Amino acid sequence: MTRRQRRWPIHLALIAVCFVMLVPFYWVLKTSISGENIFSYPPSIVPRDPQPFYYVDVWYAIPFARYFLNSVVVSILTIVANVVLNAMAGYSLTQTFPGKQIVLMLFLSCMMIPFQATIIPAYLITGKLGLLDSYLGLALPMFSTIICIFVFKASFDAVPRSLIDAARVDGLSEWRIIWKVMMPLAKSAVATNVILSFIWSWNNFMWPLIATRSQDMQTLPLGLARFISYQEDTTGALYAFCIMVLAPGILLFLLAQKEFVQGLTTGATKG
Amino acid sequence: MSIRDDPAAPRWRRWLLNRFVLVPGTLAIIAIVWNAWVFTHNHGKIAGRVVDASGRAVEGAEVKLWVFNFTTFVEQASTQSKSDGSFQFTSNPSHNIQLSAEKPGVGRSRIPVRLYFQSEDLTLKQPLQLTEAATEGK
Repeated sequence: MTRRQRRWPIHLALIAVCFVMLVPFYWVLKTSISGENIFSYPPSIVPRDPQPFYYVDVWYAIPFARYFLNSVVVSILTIVANVVLNAMAGYSLTQTFPGKQIVLMLFLSCMMIPFQATIIPAYLITGKLGLLDSYLGLALPMFSTIICIFVFKASFDAVPRSLIDAARVDGLSEWRIIWKVMMPLAKSAVATNVILSFIWSWNNFMWPLIATRSQDMQTLPLGLARFISYQEDTTGALYAFCIMVLAPGILLFLLAQKEFVQGLTTGATKG
Repeated sequence: MSIRDDPAAPRWRRWLLNRFVLVPGTLAIIAIVWNAWVFTHNHGKIAGRVVDASGRAVEGAEVKLWVFNFTTFVEQASTQSKSDGSFQFTSNPSHNIQLSAEKPGVGRSRIPVRLYFQSEDLTLKQPLQLTEAATEGK
């Protein structure tokens, strides 16, 4: 039996799993162009009378462009801050310093605290800084995430120590070592940070709900909630809205999936 | 090896010819072209014809433009069809409208019209056909 023949049951199982996972996406896409009632029986696999007008309805029913812009600005701030701050934190954790184990334990234990538990302090701090109802305030609690710090740490750990020593001998400061030596070698970790921070920021509902006061500062997830409260017959338009919210994240993931997977597995084979 | 990883390729090609630039760039071009199209075709003109059941032009039919206003359609404007049955509105602000036409003794008609953007200029391909059946059906 050849290697290919031995693998076909695995591929068959993977295709079945892919099918199960993709059906909901297909259903949302189909409903967004057909507006078909989700309870209709028998359900149609192929959309009946497909048309794009539910997307037009969404665009004009709420200030979609404004919400989109807000989400984009907040996501860009979050991505930039995550890449910079997490790289610095990840690099520091590759160094030897007193109390390193305690810091690591602190980070790991903080991962167990849900954001909902820290939301009141986060609100008070953001309020004291005068950043409520601003882009910076919306992005602030997501400026650094512990998982992404460890992604950078794993990536930096894989860089040979001799390379860092050589950079030091050449007179580079620690700051320049991060940006000139480590970061070019950690592209997959950067991609992982970009994707994860983007998705978390893009889909965040709770914090923007609390931190925004004016309608002009609301992001897409809040717009979705508002849209549901507006419309009576929401089937087609609601699903169209979901597609419009999901599309940027899916596109970003598809663009950087190779680097994303590399970033998550960096250090996994480190002996 | 992709051009992005090829060290022999010129730097500008490595920066420009990769999926992280090409995909957003293509989307940006599509958005610009679409907005240019919208900008040049959003004068709110809706034109069409009114005919009777046998397909002859109907003069003097009252044609109304209905605009969707959150939950229902409200009348936005009205006009009379000309001798060749043609009519035109120049102030449509919406993307979700209905057109109705009526002439006593001939009949009435009402059709929904969906547009790709607000105030899109449109000439109806199918005329508004007045029928007694539509009158009775009301």
